[in-house]
Amino acid sequence: MKNIIVKANAGALTNFEVLDLLNSRGASKDTTRVIASETVSRSEYKVYDYLMETAASTQTRDSVTKFSDKCKGFKLAKAEILNIINLRPSSDVELTPILERPDEREIDIEGILALVQELLPPLPTLEAHKENEQEETEDGEQPNMETSV
Amino acid sequence: MFCLSEMEDTVRVPPDLLNLPLEVAIKKVLQKLLLNKVLSIGLCVSIYDIKSAEGGFVLPGDGPATYKVRFIIVVFRPFVGEVIAARFKESDSNGLRLTLGFFEDIYVPAPLIPRPNRCEPDPYNRNQMRWVWIFEEQEYIIDDSCQINFRVENISYPPVPTEQAEDAKPFAPMVITGTIDDDGLGPVSWWEGCSERNNEDDDT
Repeated sequence: MKNIIVKANAGALTNFEVLDLLNSRGASKDTTRVIASETVSRSEYKVYDYLMETAASTQTRDSVTKFSDKCKGFKLAKAEILNIINLRPSSDVELTPILERPDEREIDIEGILALVQELLPPLPTLEAHKENEQEETEDGEQPNMETSV
Repeated sequence: MFCLSEMEDTVRVPPDLLNLPLEVAIKKVLQKLLLNKVLSIGLCVSIYDIKSAEGGFVLPGDGPATYKVRFIIVVFRPFVGEVIAARFKESDSNGLRLTLGFFEDIYVPAPLIPRPNRCEPDPYNRNQMRWVWIFEEQEYIIDDSCQINFRVENISYPPVPTEQAEDAKPFAPMVITGTIDDDGLGPVSWWEGCSERNNEDDDT
């Protein structure tokens, strides 16, 4: 098979969009799925399982689009916006590794974090842990979950 | 870390699939050929769409029908500088190995683990070494207790080896090198509730 690459990058996708695609194919958390599914392969399910543990699993197309639009005011690179959507940082220390040379650019870190808080839902397991309404919750604090190998 | 890529290729649809709608048959063939395979542009994760298929000729002496197909696939190919959430897989004296479930060849070499640190035999796993970061007299063990965020330093596609030693690790056609040596990287538990601390020792 001599693959000809017509366009190596025909558009970046957020984790949300990939998850949405797999969902539309019929991926689900149902345990009988691996045997029954004709439309979603085993390897695609591994991607699905990974994405379901990230912020993508609680996002909606609407919130992601709105967030992207509003980010335009913050002078961020497209790749950084994508990364923020995928990782959903909830504090300064989580956001800075995503940004390139944050000290040299004048980036409104607080503004970005506020927008994240406003538009992007928190990570799935966070809802269970959140008893009080502390804003500075760390994202990704998950109990030792299964590793899908 | 995902993107769409457009490709064109000659696809042979075997006779047993020809009763299916053409698009479905072609998709099946493409899935078998490309899914979970590393191409020059990254790891193919899904067949997104078939844009066009022409031909359908059956070559003499051949059963399958041959089509020239233009299609789009979803590819896993992170960009350098991207921060990704992963899980710990294993570690040895060279460094850490992280996994995403669908992709397991992420390596954080020793120089990209924050210092000062030490590497010691893992008390819970005889065959493994574990890494411990020492900061302000506190010890932070790197293990599988929580998610680990890393930043992509480099992606390489090593050429297929012509021969391999018997006990060599299985060949990895795509290798991501990551770093956890920066604020906010590494196990997420390291940075929990750190926003208060951060104001005092802001040394970026």
